[in-house]
Formats: sequence, C-alpha cells, structure tokens
Amino acid sequence: MKYKIKSIVIAIALGASFTAFGADTIKVGVSGPYTGGSSPMGISMRDGVRLAAAEINAKGGVLGRQIELVERDDEAKNERGVQVTQELINKEHVVATLGYANTGVSLASQRFYQEAKIPVLNNVSTGSIVTKQFLPPEFPDNYIFRTSAADSIQSAIIVREAIDTRKFTKVAILADSTNYGQLGRADLENALAKKNIKPVAEEKFNVKDVDMTAQLLKAKEAGAQAILTYAIGPELAQIANGMEKLGWKVPMIGSWTLSMGNFIDNAGKNGEGARMPETFIQEPNTPKRKAFIEAYQKTYKLERIASPVSAAQGYDSMGLLAAAIKQAGSTDGVKVREALENLKENVEGVVTTYVRPFTHDDHEAITMNMVVIGEVKGGHVVYAYDADKASVVREKSDKK
Amino acid sequence: MEILAQLIVSGIALGMIYALIAFGYQLTFATSGTLNFGQGEALMLGALVGLTLVGHMSYWLMLPLVLVFGALQGIFVERVGVLPAIKTKSEFGWIMTTISLAIIFKNVAENVWGHDDITFPSPLPTAPIQFLGIRVLPMEILVVVGALAIMLAVEMFNRKSIYGKAVVATSNDRDAAGLMGINTGMVITFSYALSSMTAAFAGVLIAPLTLTGSTMGVVLGLKAFSVAIIGGLNSGMGVIVGGLILGIVETTTGYYVSTGYKDVPGLVLLLLVLAIKPSGLFGKSVIKKV
Repeated sequence: MKYKIKSIVIAIALGASFTAFGADTIKVGVSGPYTGGSSPMGISMRDGVRLAAAEINAKGGVLGRQIELVERDDEAKNERGVQVTQELINKEHVVATLGYANTGVSLASQRFYQEAKIPVLNNVSTGSIVTKQFLPPEFPDNYIFRTSAADSIQSAIIVREAIDTRKFTKVAILADSTNYGQLGRADLENALAKKNIKPVAEEKFNVKDVDMTAQLLKAKEAGAQAILTYAIGPELAQIANGMEKLGWKVPMIGSWTLSMGNFIDNAGKNGEGARMPETFIQEPNTPKRKAFIEAYQKTYKLERIASPVSAAQGYDSMGLLAAAIKQAGSTDGVKVREALENLKENVEGVVTTYVRPFTHDDHEAITMNMVVIGEVKGGHVVYAYDADKASVVREKSDKK
Repeated sequence: MEILAQLIVSGIALGMIYALIAFGYQLTFATSGTLNFGQGEALMLGALVGLTLVGHMSYWLMLPLVLVFGALQGIFVERVGVLPAIKTKSEFGWIMTTISLAIIFKNVAENVWGHDDITFPSPLPTAPIQFLGIRVLPMEILVVVGALAIMLAVEMFNRKSIYGKAVVATSNDRDAAGLMGINTGMVITFSYALSSMTAAFAGVLIAPLTLTGSTMGVVLGLKAFSVAIIGGLNSGMGVIVGGLILGIVETTTGYYVSTGYKDVPGLVLLLLVLAIKPSGLFGKSVIKKV
C-alpha cells in the first residue's frame, strides 16, 4: 500500500514537472503523410522541419523559449487530417501548424485553423486554391500561407518547357483521378489554352491501377510528342514502364512528383530524362544549401533525400515561422499572422532568401522565377539547364 | 486492328491476374460456403515474403517456399477466423473475421516492410517481345501460363486423387460427405490452404509487373471478387472466363470510350449478372431445401 501511494506521488510530481516544462515551450504542429504513397513527401518535410527546429533551439530558441514540434500523421486522408487538426488545436494548443502534402487534406483541415485564428504554413501542398479558401471580403484575414510552388505556377512552367522551349505542338495529359491529379489537369489545360493549344489526348487513371496500355495507346495514336503528367510516384512509374512495353518513348514532363524517390526507383532506366518544375534540387550551389544538404545527410544517415523539395520547403517554413514569432514578440495567432504578412527580417532559407515573402493579400512565398526545371539522370534529380544552376538565389518578384 | 489486338493481349494478361485471385474465392466457397475476404491481402503477403526471399535465392527457388507460406497463412485464417464461425453456425461471423484479419495483415505488412511501393526484380528480361506488331512482356506470358498451370493442377488434384475426391464430395454435399466418413472440417481447412496458396502464387507472379507494397492487394481483391460473382462462385471455368471478360472490357473501354469510364462496364456487367443469373454465368443454381 505504502509503495502504491509513493508511486502515485512520484507519478503526480513527474506529471506536474512535465506540464511545467511544456508551458515553457512553443508548440508547433507538424501534420503530414508519414505513411502511404505520399510518405516520401511527408517524411522529408518533417525531417526538414526537425532540422530547422533543432538549429533554432540550439541557438536558444525563440523569445527565450524552445520550440517543441507536435508531429501527427494525417495519412494523406482528409478525415484523418481533420482529426489531427482538432487534436492539435484543442488538446495541444499549438501556436501554428506546418505541413500538409496533400491538397485534399489541406482543404479539409484549414477551416478549423481559420476559425481558431491560428496560422498554417502549407509547405508541400500545391493545389492552386489552397491559399484562396478564405479571402476577403467574406473573411477579413486569411490565416493560410504557403511555401511551395502552387499548381498554377507549376503547370505554367511545364507548358513553357514543353511548348516554348522544346517546341512540341502535340501533347497528351495523363492525370490520376484524385483531387491532386484533376485540379492539376485543369491548371494544365488553362496554361495550354493561353498558348492556343488543345491537348491531343486527356487520359485518366486510378491510384493503384496496374495497366496503362489503354491510356498510352490513345496518346500514341493521337500523335503526342510529349506526355504531361499530374499524378504521384508509383503510378508515374507505371506510365514510364508502360511506354517501354509499348516501345514508344516520348519525353515525360510533369508536376514535381516526378522527382520523388518512388518514381525514380520504380521506373529505373525508363524514368531517365523525365523533367519537372522544382524549387530545390539537391545540389550544393550556395553555402546555405551545402550546409543544409550536409546536415540532412548526417542527421538522417542517407545519401539521396527522398523528396528534396519537401525537405527544403519544410525547413524554410520553420525558419519563416520562427522569424514571425520573434517579430511579433508573442505566440498569439493574430500577432503571428500580422508579423508573417509584414516580415521585416530577411530570412535566409534553402530555396531562396525570403524578402517580405507575404503581404496581407499575397500568401504565396514562391513566385514563378524561383522555380527551375529538374531532370532525372542516373537515379538522381539534377538541373536540366546549366544556366539555372549558375544563377542561384532568386528573390520574390511579381514579374512572371 | 493492331491496336485492338494489343488491347486484347493486355486485357488477357490483366484478366488472368483477376481470374487467379477469383479462383481462390471459388475454392473455399465450394467446400464451406464461406469466402476469405482477405484474398487480396494473402496475395500481398505472398508478394512481400517472396520479395524478402528473392534477396537470398533465385526467383524459381523462392516459388515453392512462397507456396508453403501461402498455405500456412490460409490455415491460420481458417483456424482463427472461419472455423469458430462455422462451429457456432454463425451466418455472417466469417465475413467480419476475414475482413478484420485482412486489416491486421495489412498493418503487419506496413510495419515489417514499410509503407512504400517497392520494385520486384523481374526473373525474365524486361524488354517486350514483338509478335505481328503486338508487344508483350515475357512476364505477362508467365502470368498467363502460371495462372493456367496452377488452376489446372488444382483441378487435376481434385479429380484424380482420393483427397481431391473428398474435396469434391464435400463441396457437393457437406453433410452426406461427413456421414460417409470424410473429415469435412479437415477438407475445409485444406481448401483454405489451397486458396491462400494460389493467392500467394498470384502475388509473386504479378509483383514484377506491378509494384510490391502493403496496399497492392486491396483493389485487386475487390476486382477479383466481382470476377468470381460474374463467373459463378462454384465454377472453376467461370472465373477464367469472368476474368478474361473483365480484363478485356477494361482495356478496350479505356481506349474506345474513355479511360475515365474504364471500370464502369465491368460493374454494369456485374449488376446484369446479379439481376439475370445470380449464380453467375457458369454457376449452377442450387435449390435450397429447408
């Protein structure tokens, strides 16, 4: 009995000390898919955020307090994302949340942050409407920010690469049937329409489809000179492998998911030459990038980052948030949002140096000039054009 | 013409995959009137176990080991999930238990093999063979041949051997077979072992064509189920024809109508079969006497 009472007392004392410790930290939610087909994005993003948080904490944290990451797996499922959101807001009382790799999950979850006046920094989701869910006049203030390249930017760059640079006139669109694929397909159509081009074939497939013969034959018969894709890694690999089977090889140009490890590995030699828009390529061409890549490789004991873009954008989102909390001098959601919208300090990130990345009406940190074209070569993603590699840090510009 | 031929060839390869999994449904339904809804997961486990083994030995040496693993997995499902339900004469208990076992298998696989889709090294050359303008992968031919071979082997076993006759007797009339001294419980366990064995075999056959991962069985298991319904749950011939129909309809609809609608005709066919001939195209309708 005595022993029991003792242990209870100890347990209570321990619990109390933990809560005391907890009150001292700044809690930041990290929500992403750490399992399933999108996991390379989610895990790389999380590891990037962790790296940034560790660096900030090593320098004494923000406002004299340490940053504590509350990581939750949203499994790339909308309903799971909502559950995670409610836990982060109501139970963990996070100051802000970083994350989301899936447009659908972003759209389903953000409403709760908007209502609770807690800022969200989307660091991987690319759907064009992600930051446009809560616009004035209906919502005076928007709490949704983004540090990744929106689909409208990506599709414009894909089309520029295919039509302007490589002079293709007949292209086919292959997109999966998810939110991501279908919204991306619409963006691609719009971008093509601006050049007065109509795709010769538009084909659809489901996630986990094992046979792409019909889709590829249609594109082939329509005389497509290139295939523009909007899908995720495993199915993209099935497309590359299906082309090999049909003995028909045209360039694949698509959204940045073509840089994911599960495309490169599963497509093998059939994936060589695929091109995609990227905000970051694992290439140490600035001191900041060199330091980031080396720290990432050392901490997580790997050579190739599964999704370098996600890792870099995750890292940068943490840096931006820390700068905003510092400027706000508080962890109050409204003040942090105001600081984000009027950031005075230049934040040196991996993707770029952020100079006033957001304003009240512009919540996109990435503009078209920051995005470069990457190419799969020898199992790695490299710069497709040497000129991109040379001119490195590009700051935000309104010029498209 | 060439295109149609190419679509049909691809459809046949796809259809044989469905047929092989559907064959597994048919095996257990014949003897016990129950199904293993974890057929897709049995396939997935077979493929992942095969992937692990293939790191240490050749593809062909790995096949028999995977077959043994599949059989053991089937026995496990029957003992844990189905037997208690049959014993208590529960009408639907086995549905829930096989589904929940399937979920457990999937989660175990996620923990053991991770969440990512992995490439399965192909035992045959990956360059397609050209034949009258039609291109087909050597692995696709192996899938068709392998599927037919194992179905034929099981059918031969049932028709020729004394143990097979016990299986046939049990599927014809379980009570009468029991009265004749056949250990029907054993036969049902055996049919589950066979069923999961074919699924595991299907897994290693198709893995080099698709990708290997914990979620690979979900869609395939479901499609195979509709094949089993279309072909008839008590006809071995039915599942082959059903599989071929579904496979070819999928690829041709994808090309001639729209890839967005490629799954629709299969489902319409399923509804038609259920409305007009509920026992399936090749199924024998049984009058249930009460």
